[in-house]
Amino acid sequence: MSQASVRRKPNDQPALLDTELEHLPPELRWREWMGRTEAVIFAASEPVPREVLARVVGRNCNIDLIVDDIRAELAGRPYELVSVAGGWQHRTRKVFGDVIHAAFGAPAGQGTKELTQSEALVLMCIAYFQPITRGELSSFFGKEVSRDLIGVLRTQGLIASGPRSPLPGAPYTYVTTKNFLSQFGLDTLRQLPDFEALEDAGLLSKEKLLAGDTSLGFIGAQSDKSDIFSDD
Amino acid sequence: MIRLDPATANLAPPTVPGWALETVGVPHDADAAFRAGAALASLDSLARAQPAWAGAWRQRLALKCAAASMRLAGRAENEAALRDAWQLCPAGADPGPAGAIFGAWRQLALQPPAVSTDRLAKVTETLGLAWDDEAFADLCKEIEEVAGSPRPAPFAAAAIAAHVVAIRPEAELLAWWLADLVLAQSLRWPRSVPLLIVQAFGPAFRIEGGGGKRIRPGEKGFEHAVCLALVQAAAEACRLATELSRRSEKLLAVTPKLRAKGAGDVIFLLLNEDAVPGSLTTKNLSRFAARRLFERLQQLEAVRELSGRPTFRLFGL
Repeated sequence: MSQASVRRKPNDQPALLDTELEHLPPELRWREWMGRTEAVIFAASEPVPREVLARVVGRNCNIDLIVDDIRAELAGRPYELVSVAGGWQHRTRKVFGDVIHAAFGAPAGQGTKELTQSEALVLMCIAYFQPITRGELSSFFGKEVSRDLIGVLRTQGLIASGPRSPLPGAPYTYVTTKNFLSQFGLDTLRQLPDFEALEDAGLLSKEKLLAGDTSLGFIGAQSDKSDIFSDD
Repeated sequence: MIRLDPATANLAPPTVPGWALETVGVPHDADAAFRAGAALASLDSLARAQPAWAGAWRQRLALKCAAASMRLAGRAENEAALRDAWQLCPAGADPGPAGAIFGAWRQLALQPPAVSTDRLAKVTETLGLAWDDEAFADLCKEIEEVAGSPRPAPFAAAAIAAHVVAIRPEAELLAWWLADLVLAQSLRWPRSVPLLIVQAFGPAFRIEGGGGKRIRPGEKGFEHAVCLALVQAAAEACRLATELSRRSEKLLAVTPKLRAKGAGDVIFLLLNEDAVPGSLTTKNLSRFAARRLFERLQQLEAVRELSGRPTFRLFGL
């Protein structure tokens, strides 16, 4: 018995859960593991990473194969298992988006409000040009980007504050979070739409953005800024 | 007070012999490998010696590598912007995608060149790449195999880079990161030296008559190009070391003249970091004292201001 407890220790699991399921025949064991995996993903409110799933299945169980089998089972259902932000989550299929929208009047789930057009625009701008300050955003849009708007994005966990900008007042810059990636179904920032095309066109730099056609951006702070990021 | 270690004090940093750097014509494979060996021999003594300024040297190389990776990551930040992103980031905050990549290179230079699945997972995330965890175990095995094989170091580094790009063509950044790590592992250096990626867009990897196309990891002639790139990279690293050793000598020479109580900490940080913020405060050093100390060091021409700004200054060797 002491041996058993010693064996269990490095695994760091609650002693009550039998993960190896050695008493079951292989098919039943596989079904049980599939059930456990799906239950955990179903019960979680955010994407479940692999480490968490590894706690409920056997040591030599391939989680990818489990997920593939679950996906195959869900083939005809209105929801699916998607891999986002380094984990897995249940999501309703895209085609039912309108239906859900009609039923609730707003997108269901998580209690988050739908982003307004201006919020979405600011979020897009932060995603492509992060880290960027509110002042830089304002000078790009040609009108004040309010603190409230930034606050709305922050409370939804889509953006977080990054390094401080070396400008008078040391304003915080904003960067997107992991939650942002998960909400928009991206794995990395490179998967943002048209990222490569913008990169090839050389448009993914902040000073280009600020010095662009709009020619609104040249208040004192920005000319300092372009000195700092002089080469490109 | 910090004094130069007598064992390393008189050691002028080595230089890569001039004949290895000759660029007349295209050398044969054996010739390229021989030159790489000569260059690595010079670098080897430097990577092992651990002089007082080794920390600053490695961090500065890491910064150069991070700046070079920006092009692969599709970002526009330069060295100054990266340094700002890292130094002005409050503790616990996200330094942004570019700052995170710099963090990954810093981490390469700070830790011994050993790999674990955890470390790989963390680095891959900070480099802004997506990868599934199962593959890390295989990758670890592959790294051990490559570093343990009797292959010479440059070829081992080339092999691991080619392996990573073969399984994930978009993970080239990780390929270069691992190439430096494997290089250090096979040369049994105590810490990795970030080197190769700086050359990735340089002449060593350019295809002869290919219209400016570059040789990507795993393509024909990659091993040959890695050898030539290592010669260049080693020469640049040695040049940087010569410069830093001269500056650190100067800094240590003026150290006895400093009367601030907390000066020792600042000198230590200057010798071990790429840059130290002018607003640094420690237990023994108030922000006023720090300001005076940096002003004094600047007067004595022992440190340089790196950002070029009158405010939010960053000091370094």
